[in-house]
Amino acid sequence: MTSRGTPSRFLKSVLQNGVGRYFPQKFSRDFIEEGVVDFAKKNPGTVVYVSPQLCSIPKVVAEYLNGNTKEELLSNKTSQQVLEVLTKLTDQSGQDIIRIRKPYHTDSPSIQGQWHPFTHRPPSVGLIRPQNHRVE
Amino acid sequence: MAAGMLNRGVLTFRLQCQLVSRSPSLTQVREKKRWMRAYTYIMAKKLQLEGPPPPKPRWQQPNWDYHSEVQAFSSRLHENFSLELLKTAFVNPCYVQAEQERRKQLDVDSETTALVLKDNLQLSKKGEGLTKSILTDWCRASFPSLPHEGVECIVGHLSSLSVVTYVARNLGIEDLTMSAEFPVPDEVLNSTFMAVIGALEESSGAERAAFFLRDFLLTQLMGKDLFDMWTVVNPMGLLVEELTKRNIPLPEPRLIRSAGASTVLPLYFVGLYSGTKLLAQGPGETLVGAEEEAARVALRKLYGFAENRRPFDFSPQQQHQRTLLQSVSSN
Repeated sequence: MTSRGTPSRFLKSVLQNGVGRYFPQKFSRDFIEEGVVDFAKKNPGTVVYVSPQLCSIPKVVAEYLNGNTKEELLSNKTSQQVLEVLTKLTDQSGQDIIRIRKPYHTDSPSIQGQWHPFTHRPPSVGLIRPQNHRVE
Repeated sequence: MAAGMLNRGVLTFRLQCQLVSRSPSLTQVREKKRWMRAYTYIMAKKLQLEGPPPPKPRWQQPNWDYHSEVQAFSSRLHENFSLELLKTAFVNPCYVQAEQERRKQLDVDSETTALVLKDNLQLSKKGEGLTKSILTDWCRASFPSLPHEGVECIVGHLSSLSVVTYVARNLGIEDLTMSAEFPVPDEVLNSTFMAVIGALEESSGAERAAFFLRDFLLTQLMGKDLFDMWTVVNPMGLLVEELTKRNIPLPEPRLIRSAGASTVLPLYFVGLYSGTKLLAQGPGETLVGAEEEAARVALRKLYGFAENRRPFDFSPQQQHQRTLLQSVSSN
């Protein structure tokens, strides 16, 4: 798909942190036994929910403060890989992972004033020229 | 062929056997379900007729623990809230009323199971007063030459419903609010946010509340122009007043540049001169429009609200305290 056919957004500064709600599944039992408590202690601003569910793929669902949800599958991942996935989800802001149109954004695009064709041009209207017929 | 049909017959017989036996492990069937197609079509038609289902509040969806969410809220903002105050701040009077009515309808005895929930009216009023005073003080300190109406308009914009509800939604306050209706109406969300500010002030003091407001409300000022928030009908008159107050000669408009005067899109640059010094110049499509724009540019320069002003100080609190200590020790 070309970048014109897929959605895109501008770079936005995030003035808010993300909240994450995770539920790792039975496949990542090692992680649940060892890593989850440390992870929860390190990130006191996120609430971790661990819930067993029958016959479904182990996954992590992260909910962010701006309402977006992100799901990641955890099947066949070691404890270390699960921790990496969770760190990635914690560090993300909740914004959509789509093409960013420009890698920069500023609220004050110009300090000395944006150039327009009249900048630095000598004025041609209302010139006060020296009078030629001066009394000598 | 006959063997296949025989097999199918055996299968259906087995299915029927399974339907009769009620143990859960045997009633689950993993084959192609013949009713699935009709069911899917009926549900799609129902969705088309009735529209999407109404949104459910977060506490009615799975995986929700109110106490830990409130704790996470307070630690996410790096603030020490007293949890009781914070929980009181999220309870709205409409929720208390709705709960009491629900209990009456269910004929629950009001003496045995009394609803002990304080609502957030007091905290909300306190928070609102505090917000307005903090914002006004900050505006006056950052823009000392801005007149009273300008300060009021900026503070009014920052504490308006749209800005406050945007900030509250992105902080996750909507999920934690207890209100009668869902989606939470804007006024209720506004009063909940103010109640949270009030709770913060009571838990950690007015200074921390001031930093909180600076970091979350005042950042919404970035990139905004003064006259977006403050509608001035006669900028030239206001400029004349300001200049007379400062004993500067009155502005004289002069045409500086013009281009395309006889076309569909003319452009005029009008400059305002006080004495012989250029105050400001502004562009416009007509001479009158250009003069007004020049007056607005001059006002922005006077009040220190130009685009190239020094950016606001959002440095974290420890640095702020360090600079205070330095200034104290140097004195």
